[in-house]
Amino acid sequence: MITPAIPKSWYLPSKPHKFCPGCGHGIVLKALGEVIDELEIQDKTVFGCDIGCSLLSWNFFACDSTQTHHGRTTPVMVGIKRARPELITIGYMGDGGGYSIGSQHLLNSAVRNEKVTLILVNNTNYGMTGGQMAPTTLPGQKTETTPYGRDPEKTGYPTKGPEFLAELTPEGAYIARATVSKYKQLKRFLKNALRNQMEGNGFSFVEVLSTCPTNWRTNAQQTWHFLEEEMEPVFPVGELKSPFGKGGDK
Amino acid sequence: MVKKQLEPLTTPMEKANFHIFPDFCKGCGLCKEKCPNDVLIWSEKLGVYGTPIVKPKDEESCIACLICEMVCPDAAIYIEKKRGKKAV
Repeated sequence: MITPAIPKSWYLPSKPHKFCPGCGHGIVLKALGEVIDELEIQDKTVFGCDIGCSLLSWNFFACDSTQTHHGRTTPVMVGIKRARPELITIGYMGDGGGYSIGSQHLLNSAVRNEKVTLILVNNTNYGMTGGQMAPTTLPGQKTETTPYGRDPEKTGYPTKGPEFLAELTPEGAYIARATVSKYKQLKRFLKNALRNQMEGNGFSFVEVLSTCPTNWRTNAQQTWHFLEEEMEPVFPVGELKSPFGKGGDK
Repeated sequence: MVKKQLEPLTTPMEKANFHIFPDFCKGCGLCKEKCPNDVLIWSEKLGVYGTPIVKPKDEESCIACLICEMVCPDAAIYIEKKRGKKAV
């Protein structure tokens, strides 16, 4: 019998999942599920999701999951890790929860080099509430609250999270930016981030550039074009800080 | 909980068998646009949201690179490579 190519750690009765057609969350969570399978950490993983579109992943995995206040996934995960250091904690959030509402928690746990893994999905807007401007909205991009395009004179330039976290964190941290259009690289970065936590080196953070066809008002072709031609030049993809060194990501 | 009947639609091709699960496919079209050889086209069958699903246009053009399987957010596509056929 042919079964779908889904990771073992996915919770099958909740599929098909509740994300919109073409949403990048499914690709990120598929990569994360495959990495959890490969590292065989399903029974000791705690998965925490934020408010926003990312909360639709609350029943995504067949592992312990929790859902927190907006932006407060980071401190909850840090608390779980401090109480039970043998567990693997994964915080999963969107760019609004991570960079605007939860930026204080993100920043301070990075400074303290907490041994948690955080995954931040960047789709350049607040998807669940209808596509308002987020800290990561590109200059000139039209959203619900910037109908004439984002004006950097008034609202500033997009937040580059991995760049500032790479400056703040001490040695041992793992900071990277991936994109859903390069699946194998995304999987490698997520695996490195989890390995970094398992080895106890320090803070692990991966920002993933993702798609949002519903709020970008794009078809499939324009979605890939926006992600690859407009987002990736503004947000360069790659590892910014890695304790494994270059090429040490076996 | 209703147990899902996961029956794939299978298209045999030269280098691989193309399986798609209409219960999972939402018809977003990301696979169709990402395919390097433009193998996939819209089918007449409908997926879980009542939108068309994809199917391969012919038997020869697929190179079994697995990109459609990787970028499917819903894991609806499964490419079963045929033994001895190398991806180009």
